Amino acid sequence: MPDPHQNLVSELSRHQHEHGYLTDTAIREIAEKMGLPMYKVYGVASFYPHYRFTPPPKAVVTLCRDLSCWMAGGGGRLKEMLSTLPDVEVKEVSCIGRCDAAPAGTVNEIPIRLNDYEQVVIWAQNPDLLEPPKPTSTPNRYAVDPYNTAEERYGAIRACLKGERTAEQVIATLKESGLRGLGGAGFPTGLKWELVRKEAARPKYIVCNADESEPATFKDRQIIEEIPHLTIEGMILAAFVSGAESGYFYIRHEYEKERLAMQSAIEDAYRRGVLGQRVLGTDFNFELSVFVSPGGYVQGEESALLEALEGSRGEPRNKPPFPGQKGLYGQPTVINNVETLAMVPCLLQKGVEWWRAQGKRGYAGLKFFSVSGHVNRPGVYLIPMGTTIREFIETAGGMKDGRKFKAVLPGGASSNILGPDKLDTPMDFKAMSEAGSMLGSGAMVVIAEGVDLIEAGANITRFFRNESCGKCVPCRLGSTKAVALLEDFLAGKTGAEKLQVLEDLNRTMSLTSICGLGQVALGPMISVLRNFPNEIKARADRAQPKS
Amino acid sequence: MSSPETVSLNIDGKDVTVPKGTTIYNAAKSVGIDIPVLCHLPGLEPVAVCRICAVDVGARVYAAACLRQAEPGMKVKTNTEPVVQARKTLLELLMADHPVPCEKHKELGSCELELLAEKEGVAASKNRFAPPPAPRKLDHSAANIAVNHNACILCDRCIRACTNVKQNFVIGRNGKGYVAQIGFDNDMPMGQSSCVSCGECMVSCPTGALTNVGFEAHLAGEKVDIEWLSKLPIFQGISAAFLQRNEGAVVKRPFKKGEIICREGEFGNTAFYLLEGKVDIFISSPVQRATKKDTRSFFGIVRKMANRLTQAGRDTEDPERMKYIPIDATVDLHLGNPTAQLGPGDLFGEMSALSFYPRSATVRASEDCVLLEMLRPVLQILQKNPAFKKEMDLKYKDRALANQLRSMPIFGSLTPEFIDELRNKVELVKYDPGTVIFSEGDPADALYIVRIGFVKVLKLFPGGELTLAYLHRGTYFGEMGLMGEMVRTATCTALDHVEVVRIKAVDFNLMLEKFPQVRAEFEKEIRNRQEQTKAITQIGQTSDVTMRDFLDQGLMKAQSLLLLDLERCTRCDECVRACADAHDGITRLVRDGLRFDRFLVATACRSCTDPLCMVGCPVGSIRRRNSLEIIIEDWCVGCGLCAEQCPYGNINLHPFDTREDDPDHPGMKKAQVRNKATVCDLCTEHEEPSCVYACPHDAAHRVNAQEFFTRHYVGTPKTAAR
Ligand SMILES: Cc1cc2nc3c(=O)[nH]c(=O)nc-3n(C[C@H](O)[C@H](O)[C@H](O)COP(=O)(O)O)c2cc1C
Ligand code: SF4
Ligand code: FES
Repeated sequence: MPDPHQNLVSELSRHQHEHGYLTDTAIREIAEKMGLPMYKVYGVASFYPHYRFTPPPKAVVTLCRDLSCWMAGGGGRLKEMLSTLPDVEVKEVSCIGRCDAAPAGTVNEIPIRLNDYEQVVIWAQNPDLLEPPKPTSTPNRYAVDPYNTAEERYGAIRACLKGERTAEQVIATLKESGLRGLGGAGFPTGLKWELVRKEAARPKYIVCNADESEPATFKDRQIIEEIPHLTIEGMILAAFVSGAESGYFYIRHEYEKERLAMQSAIEDAYRRGVLGQRVLGTDFNFELSVFVSPGGYVQGEESALLEALEGSRGEPRNKPPFPGQKGLYGQPTVINNVETLAMVPCLLQKGVEWWRAQGKRGYAGLKFFSVSGHVNRPGVYLIPMGTTIREFIETAGGMKDGRKFKAVLPGGASSNILGPDKLDTPMDFKAMSEAGSMLGSGAMVVIAEGVDLIEAGANITRFFRNESCGKCVPCRLGSTKAVALLEDFLAGKTGAEKLQVLEDLNRTMSLTSICGLGQVALGPMISVLRNFPNEIKARADRAQPKS
Repeated sequence: MSSPETVSLNIDGKDVTVPKGTTIYNAAKSVGIDIPVLCHLPGLEPVAVCRICAVDVGARVYAAACLRQAEPGMKVKTNTEPVVQARKTLLELLMADHPVPCEKHKELGSCELELLAEKEGVAASKNRFAPPPAPRKLDHSAANIAVNHNACILCDRCIRACTNVKQNFVIGRNGKGYVAQIGFDNDMPMGQSSCVSCGECMVSCPTGALTNVGFEAHLAGEKVDIEWLSKLPIFQGISAAFLQRNEGAVVKRPFKKGEIICREGEFGNTAFYLLEGKVDIFISSPVQRATKKDTRSFFGIVRKMANRLTQAGRDTEDPERMKYIPIDATVDLHLGNPTAQLGPGDLFGEMSALSFYPRSATVRASEDCVLLEMLRPVLQILQKNPAFKKEMDLKYKDRALANQLRSMPIFGSLTPEFIDELRNKVELVKYDPGTVIFSEGDPADALYIVRIGFVKVLKLFPGGELTLAYLHRGTYFGEMGLMGEMVRTATCTALDHVEVVRIKAVDFNLMLEKFPQVRAEFEKEIRNRQEQTKAITQIGQTSDVTMRDFLDQGLMKAQSLLLLDLERCTRCDECVRACADAHDGITRLVRDGLRFDRFLVATACRSCTDPLCMVGCPVGSIRRRNSLEIIIEDWCVGCGLCAEQCPYGNINLHPFDTREDDPDHPGMKKAQVRNKATVCDLCTEHEEPSCVYACPHDAAHRVNAQEFFTRHYVGTPKTAAR
């Protein structure tokens, strides 16, 4: 059976881990050793941002350039300050999932805050001063954790294996609860599991998507660190229902602390006998391991993720077929988000009634939300579905320093931007979509007055351009040309009327792109142009010389 | 009606029933609807990356018709306003980055992108999108195919053609996002990659990203039928369309018995492949030089007598001298009887075709025969073709390799059995001009024997690099590293199109173990080379010698100079006469040249450390002895390349009367005047050069440049310097 841990990506990662970078000779040798054509090895190595082809300096400093960090001032002067230091490399990167500590960055992969420039310079010069962070020893307790003690854990799967609950019943409960995918696309989870269960092909696989790279999204990070056993149990349950025997936990490489937490939770699960061969003495087998992503937002797209797991360039596949039919190695595969899986045990243990009762205003259940931007207490909150945007802002400590609310991205960087008129929209899939946006990955960015929304929209568009895999024409060229146009506009080189072409481009990209990245890339920008017509005018006014 | 094996759907209002698994594109085609495509090429597995074929199937997003399979009840719209608009916008995006017209459109009017854009009414002049921020790379490293990344639309057609159709596995996508592009191996220039020049990628490319390098020259001869050509085993696997484009670069040439196909010494730019019949390949037997009876002094006669005596046995017994003359074919010629026969499947003239060297031998049809004559592009297609390469490698190993090994004195004691064994273990490796074969300091892992082309050996020293040698066919390199510290002591670079025999370290060591004599020879040779290197680098390292003139005149590169002390010289020309006497009446010394301080640097070979003259000799007859001087062997074919190469004008061509095989009347000899190159050989068989010996005024000195200048100028106040 093919093993992701022996694939080309793993081999490249191992080599880089040992030697710091990949040389031409290394590429040749790996090609030879693995019996792969050289173009394949180089093609894969040059695709992923994590691989480097030059020896690493003493310190590599990364500065996040995406929305929440950008609003917090980003790297500011740091780039110039650091670029003159000897043996220090500084580069701007896409969102690293630390938006609650904006502006965020890393020094030799250790997350830091960038607000104290002098301190960052000291770290860059003495990276050893920074201790690699360890997972918390005092995790929070959440209402969605049905277990009071470690011993009680894995109760849901125990019940299934004892025959107290059948696979059909699990599916029925999921369907009844209305649980939808929390990774962004919102596909009904019960249905997904059922489809894979019905596939005749063997083997089947379970994959947990912990790539979480959408700007402003960091709720999975907290779930992995604090309640990893729930996600693990979700995976075991998915395997039990669908008939899979192995699973992979695919995590972004920037989540090192979280990887450690997950790794030890998996070891714990093996010790408890709920993972491995003959789980709890039954005929059920399920092996689970962690796979570290070689990087890139597009890896979160499920089929691109599978390509990476197979050791290829992480380009999304054409669909259909969907992963449920032909997933990892062409076999039926359940792929779910960290949070989706983590919700399953409590649904089963506490029941659909309980679940429904957790919601507000007639909406069902609880959901983890990340909130960042101009609020006083950015972070991750478990809140009832149906909470309004306004209420949630209050939960997060209200508007930062009492500033005036201007706009909000309710569902991560790919959701449309809404204005003050939508503050009372309940946070739920349906309600958000009716309001003209989406719940997406449950990542809210609150924007106060003073932020130029055209700049914000351009920032988001730039993110999609930076992360486009380049496989298909609409996204590869469309995102590039859109950014070029916006930058020309922002630099005053082109008039507002030219932005009209973005509407046409957006339509083309959303209709013809292979994957969600290209399909939504221009959405947020377009929503600014549509929902905030005054922004253009305000810019034009500001540009007028004052007489 | 649809059965389990068929699918019924509706396309643009037409009901269609197709076998299950049919793509929308093919289903539409079956009812006369042509959905435009770019990345799709029937015959290749669809990848749906350009999205030009996107059609409305009633879902949230469009489907790529080239890939998406027809589903029962599907309602497909291929031409609604929004579908057409999306298609146009995609074309507009592609055109924004496209050089209009691209190479292919300019030449053939057949760029698929430009044609489609025109058809859909997407005008280049009205493009709403920004042009690319910077131009992308051009790659002209391959002989037959030019790569222009600006015209590439990343349709992946070449990738599929290379890997799925031809199974060559060379091309892939590199990088990510907007900077992604196609690449060869680990992003090598195409010409240096493992590309076998099958041409399939170029034939599959819709645009001018991969184009045939135009070849203007058209050979005289019978035009070949491409169909027939592509069926020849040697052209197996090469796309017919690609051959078509090189039509003018290959012709079929019949020759009657006795006809001359090419003559030694003439310049040529083609190679020949023998299809039928046999040919003789030979060079005029090493010439006994005719003597001019023009001796002017008594002294000269005596000198010449002495010469004669030593000459007889001189060169033939020279232990360094090779027994085979390396020529531009899969055989080498024996010095005693320099002729051989070639038959069907043999190739000759590779070096001429690749690097425009003079013909190394004369070839005559020994019976009626048919040949393919080809220019470089076609030869390189062949050379990269694995089937052909294998055949040539085998031929070479069977015939020439053993000769070459036996011919090199150093391998003299190898047994035929061992050579047989070795033959199967060696590799033949090709290098493009300028490629570094290995660098100083690299681990030493093999011994190389030059089969084709020239290899430059150089060493770095503080302040620059010095050329130690130019190696030609039949010489070897890489032994120093193997026998010494196991690291390379010099850098070896391919000067032109080079092919070498690579003997792996293990096999080399086995050979030394089995044949102590060979080991001893190698050890001796290494000591020689080391000394040579030392001498040369010392010259290079005399950093104190800062005299401008000295450097400007290239004297630094000279090892041996003939200096005439002008304060003593009376211009009596005794030296010139002595030289002529010593060399069959032809002087190799001209009493003129550059002046340096009070010396005249006479025009006579300086034995440069960087002997450019040695580059390009088609028969390897100019070489350097261990004692540093440069000699020209008798089998010189008189092409004059070395004379042209010498920057100091120290090599001259002189006519000699000879009797040699009459190419027009086989079996007969005829008197002929031939040119031969001459160069000062330092009269090494004497204690002192004749010229120096003859000077009655003690004005002529042959000096070691470095020693001389160190003695005379270094350390003394540098008056002459500034
Ligand atoms: C560009 C792109 C990035 C995505 N990134 C993520 C991600 O980081 N995490 C995630 O769970 N889902 C991500 N998704 C959604 C996945 O494709 C997939 O729908 C999800 O993992 C399915 O799990 P769910 O049904 O539990 O949400 C992304 C989708 C796209 C198009
Ligand atoms: S839409 Fe963008 S990210 Fe998705 S496949 Fe196409 S190029 Fe890649
Ligand atoms: S022709 Fe179908 S996507 Fe290119």
